[in-house]
Amino acid sequence: MMSNPYFNALLTAAGAIIFILATSYGLGVFASWMAKRRGATAKVQENTFAGYLFAAPWIVGFIIFVIIPLVFSLYWSFTDYRVISSDPPQWVGFENYSNLILNDDGFRQSIVNTLYLTVLGLPLQISVALLLAVLLNQKLKGERVFRMAFYLPVILGFNTAVLLCWRLMLNTGTGIINQIIRGLTQAFPPFGYLNRAAIYLQEISSAFFLGISNGNFNLLNKVIEAGFPAEVRVPLWVQSPLWSKMSVVLLMVWGCGTMMLIFLAGLNNIPKELNEAAEVDGATKWKQFWKISLPLLSPHIFYNLVVGMINALQIFEPIFVLYRDNGPLVPSAISMVYYLWQASFSHFEIGYGSAISWIILIIILVITFVQFRMQDRWVTYDLY
Amino acid sequence: MKNKRIFVVLSMLLIVALLTACGGSNEPGENNVANNAAANDAPANNAPAGDAPADDISADAEPVTLKIYLLDYTADTIAWLNSEINPAFEAAHPSVNVEITEGSWSGWDTTFSGFFAAGEGPDIINLGSEMNTLYGESLADMDAYLSEGAWDEIGNFGPALENAKYEGKLRGLPIFTAPRYVFCRTDLMEASGWTSGTPQNFADWVEFGAQASTIDKATNSLTQQALVPVDAGSMADWQWWLLVFYSLGGELYKADGTPNFDSTEALATTEFMLEMRQAIYGDALDAVGMLPTGQGSVIDVNDETGVDNGAVCLAHSGWAAPPFDRPIWENISIDPFYGDPENFPNSRPVVLAFNDWLAVPEYSENKELAAEWLKMAFSKEGNHKWNETMGLIPARNDAQYGYVVDSPQLASEAELAAEFGVGFAGIKEAAKLSTIMQEALGKLVTEELTLQDVVDKIQEDYTAALAE
Repeated sequence: MMSNPYFNALLTAAGAIIFILATSYGLGVFASWMAKRRGATAKVQENTFAGYLFAAPWIVGFIIFVIIPLVFSLYWSFTDYRVISSDPPQWVGFENYSNLILNDDGFRQSIVNTLYLTVLGLPLQISVALLLAVLLNQKLKGERVFRMAFYLPVILGFNTAVLLCWRLMLNTGTGIINQIIRGLTQAFPPFGYLNRAAIYLQEISSAFFLGISNGNFNLLNKVIEAGFPAEVRVPLWVQSPLWSKMSVVLLMVWGCGTMMLIFLAGLNNIPKELNEAAEVDGATKWKQFWKISLPLLSPHIFYNLVVGMINALQIFEPIFVLYRDNGPLVPSAISMVYYLWQASFSHFEIGYGSAISWIILIIILVITFVQFRMQDRWVTYDLY
Repeated sequence: MKNKRIFVVLSMLLIVALLTACGGSNEPGENNVANNAAANDAPANNAPAGDAPADDISADAEPVTLKIYLLDYTADTIAWLNSEINPAFEAAHPSVNVEITEGSWSGWDTTFSGFFAAGEGPDIINLGSEMNTLYGESLADMDAYLSEGAWDEIGNFGPALENAKYEGKLRGLPIFTAPRYVFCRTDLMEASGWTSGTPQNFADWVEFGAQASTIDKATNSLTQQALVPVDAGSMADWQWWLLVFYSLGGELYKADGTPNFDSTEALATTEFMLEMRQAIYGDALDAVGMLPTGQGSVIDVNDETGVDNGAVCLAHSGWAAPPFDRPIWENISIDPFYGDPENFPNSRPVVLAFNDWLAVPEYSENKELAAEWLKMAFSKEGNHKWNETMGLIPARNDAQYGYVVDSPQLASEAELAAEFGVGFAGIKEAAKLSTIMQEALGKLVTEELTLQDVVDKIQEDYTAALAE
């Protein structure tokens, strides 16, 4: 009947639009009918109809693309379901969950790795964002250019092209980051000691976390026994499991532009007279920042902490692009979401992957709940 | 007012329903009912590819799109398919349009899981050697179209055909045989002071690894790596491990089907991998930097700068070989991996033979058409030309003429594959084994786990994976 592919595409598009209109109208009618049943006036019914009519496209989309998949995911999490098998999902109850929590070393490893990124990476990300915001708040020339430059990584995002560039930059020998470190070391010898100390501390902390993952601390003992790194040492970014997580942290810090803007908005909202009064009383710049700006920034810190924590717990793209083709380094960098991807799309165990996704959700909910409960202790929304 | 509203809503729903019904007439499944019925009743005809169209596909049939998904082929291959095979196929099947989609080996598993989860996708998909057991349950039984009784040319396919079977049934056809051998730059070997050719035991390999690798003192990084076994950085690739293991005479499974990673061959293989890595990179904690990004493969020279590409020897397939017309081939030797005959009497020279293949998923509603296309593309001339565009060895024995015998390199590869080839098929739970091994071997090279810990871990985890 219809053989022209372009006509088919137009027809499909028209059908989609009609579907959206029809469901929007239907939802509006249903809502106004419900209002009428509750005894609402004609005016209220009309307003209800209009409100739901305009909200319906989003509501319908949310139901189709979020709620329905969520329900399926929850069901599959209680089944043994392999997508490439011809067998339908087999109900196994809580077996997937108990295996994950009690038996799966790989999942525990991914939790430890994600914890590392959250405990070390997130505070670093927030600190750098705050520092940049404070610098930009000095109202220097070219402030807009700097603001754009620092926000550019957020616009570029963690897409494949950008991450492939990072792979080049993180090469141990020829990557620009290590070239800069070598250059600074040669130009300023004291920097060399600082570099080696930082490498030593980083490798100890990383080996400690790897020890928790592996259940033995062989590597930590070796790192300590090896002692202070040699003069020629530079970070082994994408080459060593001791550095794989730190390379991801570097990317997290690089993408702190959004946090920086939040802090900048917060700094701009602090009444100038507070700092002026403090200056008159003899307070130094540091004291003004520590005693006035920082407490008043607490709501913004809290926001960045909550959002940053959620993002850190769900980190995936940097690890996938940096380490997907470097199998031996994956265990040292694998995050919970990467583990979910591996189970679902590499091993094709959709049921197991669904259980992982629900556990991740519960972890995020619990942590976010705790953060909100604790905010009363340190977050202040008062200006005076 | 209310009646008007209800009328409008009902009208819209009616229009949507009508349009949905009309759109359904374009589904390939409905158009191919006659074809599938004919296919179920009788095998496809045995007419050689390019002859008159199959009787059960009428010129008046609804248009059908035969979708083919290929991974990482050269531009020449795709151009040839689009300029010769597809037009010929479409001419023979007037109602059929052939559509090739090019994908990448990076992310293939995610893409394929989408096809199988949705139950729809390309009619022909590109799989790797070890994937027959991974996807076998979801692939169509193509015996009715391609086996001996249905296609008399099937007997021309060599041992590679086993890669395309699952539970004894054909699921598609193999494209090429890509042996993974050891090829070395003899000039760089001699320049490093190594004059005895490709090493033929473990001790020689370790000595060669240290001798032929060079380090730039300024960056404390490699500028030349004695051996690049698939992965230059970690040197802990699972396929490299399997090559070494097989060379010692190792068997992946015991007689009862359980994994054999607790064997002496497995321990020796693992120890050799660690020693090779340390010979080139040093101890894990003081490891030198790896080759610059992008170097190590292909084993070649930059014509403009005269700089070598970083590897002295490469344990890889033809993908990492330079084009055969490059003058560098005068300085490249091709050998199998010899194992360690001094310590393991069962050692044998081994070449891992990879066979990429095209399979037909069970969800496809165009199985017979897919079989017809495969017959055309995998005719003697088709299989020959396909591999000529890539410089690989055709899976069909009778297609190994012309460039295969004219090229000394390919002729050598074919001989090696024929004499020393070990297939890469039949690995149970290949995806999980890959993950398990990569994880354990990664912890080997960093010395997080001891040698014994590594083999024990692989044995335990793989046994558990197979039990599931």
